Amino acid sequence: MLRNYFKIAWRNILVNKGSSAINIGGLAVGMAVVMLIGLWIYNELSFNKYHQNYDKIVQVMQHQTYNDVVGTQVANPAVMAETIRNEYGSDFKYVLQASWNYDHALSYKDKVFFKPGSYFEPEVTEMLTLNMLQGSRDGLKEMNSIMLSQSVAEVFFGKENAIGEIMKLDDKVDVKVTGVYEDLPDATTLQSLEFIVPWDLYLSYNSWIKDMEDPWGSNFTQTFAQLGDNSILETVSSKIKDVKLSKVTEEGRRYKPEVFLHPMSKWHLQSNFENGINTGGRIDNVWLFGIIGVFVLLLACINFMNLSTARSEKRAKEVGIRKAVGSRRIQLIMQFFNESILISCLAFILSILLVIIILPFFNTIADSKITILWANPIFWVLGIGFSVLTGIIAGVYPALYLSSFKPVKVLKGAIRIGRYAAIPRKILVTSQFAISITLIIGTIVVYQQIQYAQNRPLGYEKNGLISINTTEETHKHIEAIRTTLKGNGAIVEMTETTSPMTAVYNTNGGFDWEGKDPNLPVDFPNNAVTEEYGKTIGWKIKKGRDFSRDFGADSLAYILNESAATFMNLKDPVGKILRRGDRSFTIIGIVEDMLIQSPYKPVRPSLFHLLRRQENTFILKLNPAMSVNESMSKVEAVFKNYNTSIPFVANFVDEEFDKKFGNEKKIGQLAAFFTFLAIFISCLGLFGLASYVAEQRTKEIGIRKVLGATVIKLWNMLSKDFLILVIIACAIAIPIAYYIMDGWLQKFDYRTSISWWISIFACIGALLITIVTVSFQSIKAARSNPIKSLKTE
Amino acid sequence: MIKIKDLEKYYKTEELQTIALNKLSFEVKQGEFIAVMGPSGCGKSTLLNILGMLDDSDGGSFIFNGEEVINYNERKRANIRKHNIGFVFQSFNLIDQLTVFENVELPLIYTGVKKAERKKKVHDVLEKMQIMHRRKHFPQQLSGGQQQRVAVARAVVNDPKLILADEPTGNLDSSNGNEVMELLTELNNQGATIIMVTHSEHDAKYSHRIIRMLDGQKVTENSLI
Repeated sequence: MLRNYFKIAWRNILVNKGSSAINIGGLAVGMAVVMLIGLWIYNELSFNKYHQNYDKIVQVMQHQTYNDVVGTQVANPAVMAETIRNEYGSDFKYVLQASWNYDHALSYKDKVFFKPGSYFEPEVTEMLTLNMLQGSRDGLKEMNSIMLSQSVAEVFFGKENAIGEIMKLDDKVDVKVTGVYEDLPDATTLQSLEFIVPWDLYLSYNSWIKDMEDPWGSNFTQTFAQLGDNSILETVSSKIKDVKLSKVTEEGRRYKPEVFLHPMSKWHLQSNFENGINTGGRIDNVWLFGIIGVFVLLLACINFMNLSTARSEKRAKEVGIRKAVGSRRIQLIMQFFNESILISCLAFILSILLVIIILPFFNTIADSKITILWANPIFWVLGIGFSVLTGIIAGVYPALYLSSFKPVKVLKGAIRIGRYAAIPRKILVTSQFAISITLIIGTIVVYQQIQYAQNRPLGYEKNGLISINTTEETHKHIEAIRTTLKGNGAIVEMTETTSPMTAVYNTNGGFDWEGKDPNLPVDFPNNAVTEEYGKTIGWKIKKGRDFSRDFGADSLAYILNESAATFMNLKDPVGKILRRGDRSFTIIGIVEDMLIQSPYKPVRPSLFHLLRRQENTFILKLNPAMSVNESMSKVEAVFKNYNTSIPFVANFVDEEFDKKFGNEKKIGQLAAFFTFLAIFISCLGLFGLASYVAEQRTKEIGIRKVLGATVIKLWNMLSKDFLILVIIACAIAIPIAYYIMDGWLQKFDYRTSISWWISIFACIGALLITIVTVSFQSIKAARSNPIKSLKTE
Repeated sequence: MIKIKDLEKYYKTEELQTIALNKLSFEVKQGEFIAVMGPSGCGKSTLLNILGMLDDSDGGSFIFNGEEVINYNERKRANIRKHNIGFVFQSFNLIDQLTVFENVELPLIYTGVKKAERKKKVHDVLEKMQIMHRRKHFPQQLSGGQQQRVAVARAVVNDPKLILADEPTGNLDSSNGNEVMELLTELNNQGATIIMVTHSEHDAKYSHRIIRMLDGQKVTENSLI
């Protein structure tokens, strides 16, 4: 019996090759999308689980209140770990101080490379899961030691033993390799921890840290911890909340520092804080794409149901015969279920093939490294269970409806598929297009927002700007470098500054000015620069003047941006006095706001003053009259001259700037990808349905043609029904899309408004697609020879 | 074998009620070959469908093999049908996606006959209908006469006591038609009861008895033997 069912199902698939291809293909595309999204979500949700102490690892963070807004930061004073250990030691297994993870120059013999790594207290090897390949876990006990990740070890030592080799760190200190650990996987936050050196080493050549007058006054390191086995996160977190507040000065207390623990399980997906509240982060994307995935699958299922029910009506005769020769109704029901499940399982197999093909492309646009979970039983159980479920849902209508036919009627041909049978199908097609149109509008809005933020006035000229990290040597010789490069025409100007053009490396509080509310806590990005800063980046002086070498007193001068002047409520700011501690500075100029940080947020009130010691970054303006290659090679040659031991690395400011849009661009690309698939699936469904309708109306078309209808009139008649459905879909989709996208845009302070043309565009697009899809079938039907179509009766 | 009394059937639409069978009564004995004749719309096909338990009646009595079946539900009727009745239709009604062999095999599958036995029975009946060489073909690949022979084969494969034929030669030319009539006669000679609806006086002559109908009623009944 079952074999008979399969046989007939299989032959049905082969006989109707076109519609079977649409049916199975469409469903497979939908399943592939869901599989991709599912794998991506799985990857996101299992982030960091590589670490066995996942449930117990936390980062110590703090909220501080500036300008009435609670800011949240990972930066802590260097004494944080030690203090928590001393005061709340029993609640923790480890509390560890660490530096930022950034590029350091590592060298061994003649090999020099920049590699990212951190200074960490030694128990980090116990807290994190490090699979040791060489050496042991207590490799950080000695001060001058270093532990390397496998890939770093291979870069320097190949497959050879690395233990005991002496390397040089930042061209300053010798360190001995004491361990090599397996690279941390991509799906971990600390993935770029490519080497670890002891925290004590950091302290040893930053002796000022120990000598700090107010060790709680600066936040420049990170703190990680592992909770004790029986400690509860929330309890401990609220227990240590005032650990900083109790140590800071009067001034510091104004910022209301509140220390808390951020668990590892939230590092990746819930890293955003707004006004002191954890508001999500990437988890928003997980939701967004999860919902899109469900919708795409829904589209595919709708097609599947539509086409199988449309087609199954042609099989009424078979039902009649089977009943006449003795089939019971239940047997027919089983037969139809069997068939739809077979089709959905075929689609599942096809979807796996599709995923294998699409995955590399998907990984590129989603910037992920997901793989198919071949070995994971959950994947198979879900996949197969899901295919069967789809088959059952799609099979319900033919199974129950067709099996109810009276054999006499179907065999006589008396069954006319009623007007009402078409209504559910119309609803399904309409919802399908409503979903597609919503996605089209959504995608356009995402791109519009990116465009809007990219076109935001920068306040400086980013083209031709490069930044290069400073070193002791290059800092010492900045004048010589500048003169040489200007002399050989490689650059127009250069400067040295605290922060590059795309980030803020330093903020300061403690400023006072005329009319300031004494209780107002302030924190300004504060950038130390050379006199040539303005000329290099092309900022725009609005009032007063730029820094100049012609004024000896400029070492006590400040330039403010417009936001700072407004924030300080200074009516005539130039010439006013700014005080910090017991020192006074004069405001000499106001510059137009420059976009340094988030392109979606208002520019922060910022200050600029002349530098007093080595800062972090050189910024160079390349000579536009010279080719980039030529000027870059000249720049490199000059820098190498002063910096023999460290590789030359330069970043282009416009590229760094573009990275700010990475997340939104990724969302845009993924949304475009899914929108394309959704439209594709909808069109497949429409195409199948149009051909079915044309077929059903063959006789009508024949009669109309005999009576004199033109092809145009018939085409019009056959297409009109579908166009009406799509117009209804537009009416449903537009308000929904507006509502959703308006909500999305609220995330951005600096946001575009949704233009009316977007919906017009999306609707016209949907209508055009419909016309093209439907016309193919309707014109074919309309042009066919009426004799032929009348004979089919 | 069959005894119907005062059988009634109406078709209703919104505006009018059509009487298809109007208190029709007659009897059919085991082994008889009956032809039912009458103009279009006289109710003969309706009668056949009710006799084949494909359709309900709206009143009267229908005794099949001594059993009153008039109030049986779909399931019980399907059960009687598959064990006792074979159908031959004017338009053959073969399933396009199944081969000749599989079409003939279908009733055996539904009555739960074992596979080996099925194969033997189908082969026997195909031999008998002289269509064995075409067993792997699909219906569209056969001529009308061949298709009808397959349909007859399917009707008799289960050894039914009753064969109901609805204008079995209606779609065939005269030589193919005669062939089918010969087949039915032979089956009748082997013991099957046959009730055949026909427009053809020629075909009716093969039967033992002709029942003529008009407006849902029996008008005459004349025996040919």
